[in-house]
Amino acid sequence: MSSGELGAGARLARSGGPAPAQLADVLERVLDKGIVVAGDIQINLLDIELLTVKLRLLIASADKAREMGIDWWQGDPFLSRSAQRDGDGRLEQRLRRLESAAGLPVDEKEER
Amino acid sequence: MIAASAATVLYVYGIVGADAADDVEREVASAALGQTPRLLRAGSLAALVSEVPLAEFGADVLPERLNDRDWLEERVQAHEDVLEAALARTTVIPFRFGAIYHGNGDVARMLGERRRELEEALERVRGRVELGVKAYVDRQLLEERLRSASREASSEGAGAGRAYLLGRQAERRVVAEADEACAAAIAEAHERLSAIAVDARVNRPQPRELSGRPEQMLLNGAYLVERGDSRIESEVESLRTAYRGLGIAFELTGPWPPYNFVDDEEAAA
Repeated sequence: MSSGELGAGARLARSGGPAPAQLADVLERVLDKGIVVAGDIQINLLDIELLTVKLRLLIASADKAREMGIDWWQGDPFLSRSAQRDGDGRLEQRLRRLESAAGLPVDEKEER
Repeated sequence: MIAASAATVLYVYGIVGADAADDVEREVASAALGQTPRLLRAGSLAALVSEVPLAEFGADVLPERLNDRDWLEERVQAHEDVLEAALARTTVIPFRFGAIYHGNGDVARMLGERRRELEEALERVRGRVELGVKAYVDRQLLEERLRSASREASSEGAGAGRAYLLGRQAERRVVAEADEACAAAIAEAHERLSAIAVDARVNRPQPRELSGRPEQMLLNGAYLVERGDSRIESEVESLRTAYRGLGIAFELTGPWPPYNFVDDEEAAA
């Protein structure tokens, strides 16, 4: 992800003025919830590529994004804590081995 | 062919019961941005509609417009404002952004064809509104609280290497405990709020770019309640008190039109 895309997303959240959280909630509901009408509508918005990938990713569910073939955020440490953890995995394993060799008390919570 | 600049199409915001239509029409007239919304009645239902310019909502120009964030935000906010004005008077079935029809006849036909489904949705949410409850965690504060709790129990007099490893182990425990505290907090909060609500949904937590807050969002819940029911508000207040010390904050929004509770597919899922 380029920082430019992130910046655009941040602008989306901020440009509502004093209540950015409120705008985010409005966008989430109006674009992603409510009754979806198809049929004799002149333009069915939902069938066309209506938003940028970044905007869709912010609003659509992770599953929806995955259906669209977007999965890069899983490796983006800013968006995914699990990705962050994986990065520390090897160090954690080494520490575990060292702790075990040093005869330190077993961490019950993690052994469970 | 009519000049594109003058041509209009009909934008549908949502549906109300025809019985409340006159009240609603007066209410939304003052909330409108641009073209005054009006009600198009068909049987027991009435659609809240506005004429919008074909030059903005035509199939050939719309995709481009949607990528103009200022334009989109303004339209989305207008959609919400109109529905909120209607919500002040009656039960509302919100449509998702962008239901566009050629003219009155097409909207009337849609209302006729989907009458049963829309009437059922109206019954499901009659007299009810949606409240949003979000929980955020100040992860640094939470971990600091857990760290200071475990520091008291840490060993003294160990060698430097051993002390380092013990420290690392304690730190890992703090992270795991913080994860557990967050999971427990949202489970308890959602359970308590769902017990009060008529219906409940959990949405994906918003990422920071969307929420605009530095803390991590843990819970993004929607709760359907009888209009005027203040029990969710009291419960949120009680959750705030209970979790303030752990750096977990709760935010209540609404009342909203029941966006999360009108879609059949979602209700069945």
